[in-house]
Amino acid sequence: MIKDELARLIKEGYNALGELEFAESTSGYLLYHWSNRNSLAETRIYRSVEDARQIARYDSRGAYRPLKGAPNLPNGWVIEVATIDELKKALDFFYPGAIGTWLGYHAGTVQPVCLRQTLNRQTGMYRVTRRLTDEQARNLVKDACRSDGRCLRTILWGIEDSQPPDFLPSSKCDPSVDQTGQNRAALPFLCLEACNLLVAAARTRMKESSS
Amino acid sequence: MEDLGVTRSSVHGAILIDRNKKGDRIRAPRTARPLACWNLARLRIPFEELGGGIQLTNMPQRWRSSLVLVGHGSTLNPDSSAPTFQHADEIVRRGIFGEVYCSFWKEEPSLREVLRMVESNDVYIVPNFISEGYFTQIVIPRELELEGPLTHRAGKVIKYCEPVGNDPRMVDLLFHRAREVAPNVPPDKTSLLIVGHGTNLNEKSAEAAQSQARAIRKKGVYAEVSEAYMEEPPFIADWAKNTSQPNVIVVPFFIADGLHSYQDIPVLLGMESAPTVAASQQEVFRRNPYHLGGRALYYASAIGTEPLMADVILDTIDRFDRKHLYDSAA
Ligand code: SF4
Repeated sequence: MIKDELARLIKEGYNALGELEFAESTSGYLLYHWSNRNSLAETRIYRSVEDARQIARYDSRGAYRPLKGAPNLPNGWVIEVATIDELKKALDFFYPGAIGTWLGYHAGTVQPVCLRQTLNRQTGMYRVTRRLTDEQARNLVKDACRSDGRCLRTILWGIEDSQPPDFLPSSKCDPSVDQTGQNRAALPFLCLEACNLLVAAARTRMKESSS
Repeated sequence: MEDLGVTRSSVHGAILIDRNKKGDRIRAPRTARPLACWNLARLRIPFEELGGGIQLTNMPQRWRSSLVLVGHGSTLNPDSSAPTFQHADEIVRRGIFGEVYCSFWKEEPSLREVLRMVESNDVYIVPNFISEGYFTQIVIPRELELEGPLTHRAGKVIKYCEPVGNDPRMVDLLFHRAREVAPNVPPDKTSLLIVGHGTNLNEKSAEAAQSQARAIRKKGVYAEVSEAYMEEPPFIADWAKNTSQPNVIVVPFFIADGLHSYQDIPVLLGMESAPTVAASQQEVFRRNPYHLGGRALYYASAIGTEPLMADVILDTIDRFDRKHLYDSAA
């Protein structure tokens, strides 16, 4: 069970994921934004797992956050949950599938999918992305996925099959690196395949270059 | 089962009571049947009031199964995925499935990652889409790597259900919405107008709206039942010409509220003169009735936001089992 694995990882010392940190408490677990690590008493307390979904939905200015990996989670809150199951659910509302993906990758049951394969599968309005050149692809990913401001996931896919993403800074492709730059004991937050936002950005790039 | 037209539903623990014209339909897990009767007594619903209309329908417990509700989602409009989450929450509350997840084409969890979150080996995928079309026939099967209604992969059985809009109970929902938005209008002096998108990306949304309108027409409750579309005739903008009754109830046959229901359709209907971003977009549904050209127009929010959609989702799963599991076992 994913929740049991999560409990094991916490016992091993992992206490962070993306912008989040979590800690065992007398009544269960606390989950909060890293920037509130030393000011939990001043944060607003939430006790329902569903609150996680609501908090993750908007940034601190109230703008919608379509990309969950974007480093713009609001702070100033703490979620108190009683069980590991609830903690897992809350983490999944903030970073959907992150733990399952890491466990699957670690166990060898899920593998990265190269960008070409993702783009070549597209139909309808995204079919045009099949024509993205390697160079356009590299530039796009370097910009759209960078950890300082765009997305905190660690990229494990290359442009072509069995090619490593060596066009990116090595830290962006190393699961043991905390993408927030804080060197915490963070659970790896992997990107095993280009997301729909990146595919959409590839389409915009194609439209721009053809006009 | 005879379709009675649900007028009100209430949930009591794992027991759901649909009140309808002839009585109540109690739906409860098999194990909760005695409890259902106990609950009836507790709720003091007189048994004579329940009369012959009472039906106990088993809602099988699916503790070993997971449900993945798939929506379109949006990178711009947070309201797009709200109904999908709302229905998932309601199903969680009823405690039927071991796990319930939402997944989206344009939001996270994506269709590529959602199955990594699922623990159980028996997975129902229900598209929260209003009709068959490009998404249900191409995008979802491709992204989830489905082989058909039943896919066996890595020890899991993945059951791909029909889109919710195909469920026969959508007719009940449309009735319910219409009554809710215009509770006091006499049905024999009312036109019910079901509005859909029409020509768009191979979606069969117009066909779906038409078949609902046909089914409602057959019941003979409203003086007139018609359909209209944004992008193909009969056009929504021609509603005044194409309806004949003094009261007109408009129900958008969409899965979520968004630009179409907040802005485009109100402009086409003449309720708003130009697309404006209202202070609260829900405001548009609160000003009923609109008096236009001597007629009273009642405008409902998208049918997919109806809380009873949770029942439609559960019915969709039951229909899948009847079609693909029980039938093939027989
Ligand atoms: S492709 Fe991966 S790393 Fe890039 S933005 Fe999408 S989720 Fe983040």
